[in-house]
Amino acid sequence: MEETIFKRWSRELTIAGAIVLFLLPLIGIPGKTYITLTIAGLAMGMLLFLVASGVSIIFGLMDVLNFAHGALFAWGAYVGFTVFGYLMKWVEADSVLQNFAAFSLAIVAAMVVVALVGIVLERVIVRRVYGSHLFQILITFGATIVLVELIRVFWGPNDEVMTVPLTFSRNWDIMDVIINRYRVICIVVGLVVYGVIQLILKKTKLGMIVRAGVEDRDMVQAMGHNIFLLFTGVFAAGAALAALGGLAMSIFSLQVYPDMGGSFLLFAFIVVIIGGLGSITGSLVGALIVGLTYNYVAYLVPWAAAGANIMIMIIILLIRPTGLFSVGK
Amino acid sequence: MSEPILKVEDVHAFIGKHHILQGVTFDAKADAVTVLIGRNGAGKSTVIRTVMGLIPSSKGKIVYKGSEIHKKKPYEIARMGIGFVPENMGIFAGLTVEENMRVAMLVEDEATTQRLERALDMFADLRKFWKGKAGNLSGGQKQMLAIARAIVNDTALLLIDEPSKGLAPIIVDAVIEAINQIKDHSVVVLVEQNFYMASSVGDYFYIMDDGMVVLSGVMEALVRDEELKSKYLGISKSGD
Amino acid sequence: MAEATPVQIFHMEEKRRQYRSGGFFLKVGLLALFVLVPFLFPSFKTVDLAMQIIMFATLVASFDILLGYTGILSFGHGMFFGIGAYCVAFLVGKYGTPSYANLALGFVIAALVASVLAIVISFLSLRVKAIFFAMITLAIAELAIVLATKLSGFTGGEDGISLNMPGILAVSFSAGNFLGLEITGRILTYYFILLACLGLFLAMLRFTHSPLGRVLQAIRDNVERAEALGYKTFIFQAISITFGCVVAALVGGLYGMWVGYVNPESCLGVLSIMLAILLMCIIGGMGTLYGGIVGAAFFMITETFLPDLQHLAKDFFPSAVFLHNVLERWHLVLGVLFILVVIFFPKGIIGSVREFIDRRK
Repeated sequence: MEETIFKRWSRELTIAGAIVLFLLPLIGIPGKTYITLTIAGLAMGMLLFLVASGVSIIFGLMDVLNFAHGALFAWGAYVGFTVFGYLMKWVEADSVLQNFAAFSLAIVAAMVVVALVGIVLERVIVRRVYGSHLFQILITFGATIVLVELIRVFWGPNDEVMTVPLTFSRNWDIMDVIINRYRVICIVVGLVVYGVIQLILKKTKLGMIVRAGVEDRDMVQAMGHNIFLLFTGVFAAGAALAALGGLAMSIFSLQVYPDMGGSFLLFAFIVVIIGGLGSITGSLVGALIVGLTYNYVAYLVPWAAAGANIMIMIIILLIRPTGLFSVGK
Repeated sequence: MSEPILKVEDVHAFIGKHHILQGVTFDAKADAVTVLIGRNGAGKSTVIRTVMGLIPSSKGKIVYKGSEIHKKKPYEIARMGIGFVPENMGIFAGLTVEENMRVAMLVEDEATTQRLERALDMFADLRKFWKGKAGNLSGGQKQMLAIARAIVNDTALLLIDEPSKGLAPIIVDAVIEAINQIKDHSVVVLVEQNFYMASSVGDYFYIMDDGMVVLSGVMEALVRDEELKSKYLGISKSGD
Repeated sequence: MAEATPVQIFHMEEKRRQYRSGGFFLKVGLLALFVLVPFLFPSFKTVDLAMQIIMFATLVASFDILLGYTGILSFGHGMFFGIGAYCVAFLVGKYGTPSYANLALGFVIAALVASVLAIVISFLSLRVKAIFFAMITLAIAELAIVLATKLSGFTGGEDGISLNMPGILAVSFSAGNFLGLEITGRILTYYFILLACLGLFLAMLRFTHSPLGRVLQAIRDNVERAEALGYKTFIFQAISITFGCVVAALVGGLYGMWVGYVNPESCLGVLSIMLAILLMCIIGGMGTLYGGIVGAAFFMITETFLPDLQHLAKDFFPSAVFLHNVLERWHLVLGVLFILVVIFFPKGIIGSVREFIDRRK
């Protein structure tokens, strides 16, 4: 009896459970702070999603675990940093329009440059080790060393201060709740990216082929689709998303430094393990869980913030080893 | 008789360290159905996958319509007009029936649309579940989808791997009928263990064992020769 | 007396070849060199370099048990090393007095903590997929650094912990001169660690040549087949991982003894220790154990003498700009070398040399 009820309502029960779980911190956090923290958590979650979705879809389609994703993330931040350097007048101008122009140009530049880096990476290095997880991890880790060192060569070894576009740094004050504008921008950017990815995957023929490839690569090849071209394209797209995430994150945290990809890659891994490798929606849900948890716990028990997400990851691994939204192979 | 559309000459192939194909030679004559028969593990599926380029051949030649294809990539081979229905049907379970068909369609022009209509007329169930997830189809419907995907392009040669596997007898009959319709449009190479199916559609047969062709000939002769059948296929008079 | 089985004959042949080959003399010679280093080059820098090579060679060999012999990549190996260092430091530094008993207890606790943690991580990740091991160990290793830094009351935070050695291992101890060398506590510690590392290395050799080790290689080469043969691959992998991690923790304890100081950056760092282990293992050659010695020697010698090399290059070849740039960006060169080795010489220096010798025969 009970089993059937649980089965029939499993979706609703999950959603209800999740809502309860995320309202639970209200016991220890005052309401207004809770809203601020939630927005910060959502913003962080969206940035994580940008990185994790690339890791996830590259793994899903190509069966490649890309450890160089963190370095691509850092590259995105540095390219954006350079663009901001050239457009400092627009960045510091008290004009939403000019700020947005600088922000958009930086995004485009970061995504294009890092997509090109991604293409080189896939063509020159990753392609040689398809089929062997161990060598993929080794070789992409080697690529990380090289890419991070190249950052030191091109941009110098020191931390640099990232400027926030002036109007982005201000707050909205809605009924005494302080809401940082840039965080809202991050949430919007994340949602737009999620929407665009879903639209491409669901509605375009290319997206269908990618989804088919995630399920059965050989069959897609045997239908006459050049899977290697597809691999390069998806790798480049994943790299571009990492770059967008890196740029957005560097504005969020006000700095760029060569090793910045490392700790963020870690979060991305936690996200994809929670959400399920290969699933875009899984990445989004996993990223939001990680982002919100991090912010709530950081407020309640500061020293436990990093550990809380790893605990969630471990619990998920115990209950559903393939993640919340696993993709059948 | 014209040149065979597909010629496989002394092909060797390895899977890992295992020498699966040890010099396979056969050809598929135009306007006919060629059947590869043999027990489990004889290398039948490997032959088809090697022709498709999914398993590299280490030695030998594969010639399709007069050009060598054994060094080509699977997608190049497919684009030369070879359709492929793999052993486990290769359905994209998370995609709808419509999406499965669209992924299969290399170009979406008038002729392809006509072929799509033809395939859907042949397999009415697919039209019924057009917007449904392919993973929810029954085994027979999945097999029909797999065949429909393979004939929606302008395929001159169709490679079908064990279409009767795991299907109820009545559905096997439906598949036989479909293949008999398809052979008007393209040459078919069929891998089959089910002798009823093999003899119902086949014109020529090749019996494989241990990665080699051990016997070949005209299907009618095999059907009549009880001794051969029991020797190579383990089929006795009373059985099956 | 029954006739020897083919397997026994194979083993006897292997043993005979072992003792006759040039490799055997090379190994003995290398060991003799390490024994004599304090007498031949008594400067602090060279003794320290030799000690670092010995410890890292053992550490890399223990990493190789996972990577080369089990086919599992761990980013947590540096963390296990750090756990060992911290356990010893707690016992003889922060929470205990320097005594032989405490020192021994520190190593026992290090081994226990490492084995429990290794089993837990194996259980969490191997059930799903071997690649999860890489991701999860990376996550847990980062967590360990954060905890070691943040829980400063317990771990000493970023300042770390200093530790003193008991009795004859103490820095201040001196046993007079021997062959012109003052036998200090440092020198005795050097020999103690050399002996311990030799013991660990031999234990690892024994492990890889045991029937268990051969099953592990079968699993690494083909998981499905090993499973079909009836081996519970998960159990074997977990045993091997645990063994490798315990050795890493013990080496960590030895490292703490030698350096006399532990902190998160030097003992737990993914980017410092872990990167070095990985580079040494790949460049030296995985799946050989001895690769660790070559890798560690290559890495440590270049790291130690790099500033000198840079000066030398500027003094002697002032116009060779390319050479200067290469030496300036040494990590970039190492990274490129790493990728090239993975692509073209996946067996590393040792494996490639062995192949070369075999081919010439």
